[in-house]
Amino acid sequence: MIEPLTLDGVANAVAGVAGAVDKASTNRIRVRTTREGLRDVIRRVQWLLPCDRLVSISTVDTTESIELHYHLIGQHRTVVTVTVELPRDAPEIETVSDLLPSAALYERQIHDLFGVVFRGHPGLTRLILNDDWPRDEHPLRKDWKPVAGTFYGGAGRRGPG
Amino acid sequence: MTRIVVPIGPQHPALKEPVNFRVVTDGERIVDLELNLSYSHRGIEKAAEQRDFIRVLPLIERVCGICSHSHATVFSKGIEEIMGVEIPPRAQYIRTIIAELERMHSHMLWLGVAAHEVGFNTLFMWTWRDREAVLDTLEELSGNRVHYNMNEIGGVRLDLSPSQVEAALARMPVLEERIRAYVGMVEDEETMLTRFRGVGSLSREEALSFGAVGPTARASGVDYDVRKDDPYLVYDEIPWNVVTDTNGDVYGRTKVRIGEIAESLGIVRHCLENLPGGPIRAEAPKAAPPGEILSRYEAPRGEVAHFIRTNGTARVERVDIRTPTLANWTSVAHCLIGRPLADVPVIVAAIDPCLSCTSRITLVKSGGDLGKDAPPPNGPRGWSR
Repeated sequence: MIEPLTLDGVANAVAGVAGAVDKASTNRIRVRTTREGLRDVIRRVQWLLPCDRLVSISTVDTTESIELHYHLIGQHRTVVTVTVELPRDAPEIETVSDLLPSAALYERQIHDLFGVVFRGHPGLTRLILNDDWPRDEHPLRKDWKPVAGTFYGGAGRRGPG
Repeated sequence: MTRIVVPIGPQHPALKEPVNFRVVTDGERIVDLELNLSYSHRGIEKAAEQRDFIRVLPLIERVCGICSHSHATVFSKGIEEIMGVEIPPRAQYIRTIIAELERMHSHMLWLGVAAHEVGFNTLFMWTWRDREAVLDTLEELSGNRVHYNMNEIGGVRLDLSPSQVEAALARMPVLEERIRAYVGMVEDEETMLTRFRGVGSLSREEALSFGAVGPTARASGVDYDVRKDDPYLVYDEIPWNVVTDTNGDVYGRTKVRIGEIAESLGIVRHCLENLPGGPIRAEAPKAAPPGEILSRYEAPRGEVAHFIRTNGTARVERVDIRTPTLANWTSVAHCLIGRPLADVPVIVAAIDPCLSCTSRITLVKSGGDLGKDAPPPNGPRGWSR
């Protein structure tokens, strides 16, 4: 097994394209970046560290911004988390599905539940919610509440029975 | 040649869970595929934000009906790490015993389903009969067959009495013998060899790039296993091995799972025989300090990741759940392209899909006229590039 990554090793690899790098806990290193820097950071993490698998993309709505956390892992068994903050009123970012094919599904999930737009995604369509769910409602956002009188899908109100 | 769209599911005899495939075929060959998995989203992540930790645990367990202990454990260990609570050794051993029994029954269930999908119903009956011994053990230890509800923040809910340990150990020799029979069967049973070999091939590079996890990835020579990579509970103290294979097909995935059943049995036996004394619970505070953690766990189907953020109260600010089936879909879709239609059930079954915990939709390769959800022409095959 390859040695675990060190904080300095990660900081050197992303120097110039990323912001703060810190050790979140044992075996976890966090890299902060901006939406402009994301693709460069992901490429460096992929090729220089190297990380060969995307674990997941986690999303948090902090009510001030929407945070995306891209967790990557490699033979060194260290999870490198690349964190980006997006403004809540215009949550848009470039897709990474061309760099990491498995990201395509996660991005569609986040698009559905949080309303984040991934520019350049090959098919950013509905993933989790039913087809008749209202287009502009994203239920995992902190301020989402069902609106009385709105149709959220299902057969109950539509069908004869 | 004319291309035909064959709809399969969401209710279909070959598929056990709510999934819909629109399979585009050219003759018998699959040239394109669209999966629709959005039939059972339940909003558990949202509901978890409204409840305190004690009430979240039973909810989180119900993310999945098979790996219920997995979700409860990955959540508890995340919260405990944020709180700085170290759970007692006896609780760690009990959690490990339940976890590995869960892996055994899950893999035995899978082996039965996979056998059934290729028409080998004798094996289906055998594995499900033997699985009952595992479920009985779980019931004796926890009181439940499926949702064991063994976890608490800070430890486990129930202690094991010496007679329970003895009864569980007494079942082991029979299971050991049955597992040896499966190991032999996968080597020379004609039905399995013909229908599993060379079906659903996935190279090591593809498995990594498509983000495959668990036995699906390990059958392609990827040796990622969270129990080894990011040890939790007692996995770094006890003897066991990561099982990998290089076949990369359904046959390889079968061999990995059977190997893992044997490893799990060894772990369960070791933990039962070496169960340390002492308390089963540490005093944990009601509220967790503000913090954030990516908690990882090797569930039967592969890595489960919970991204948890706490805010100083007894509720989570956010819990983001990534289930192994979601991680595996991209590779399944890739495996199906170019295969005959008859391979759909077995290739899909080979990742041991668990749809209610995943509840997603995906879409593969470019197709042209697949309707509103079709990707642009010349799009990626399985989103490969």
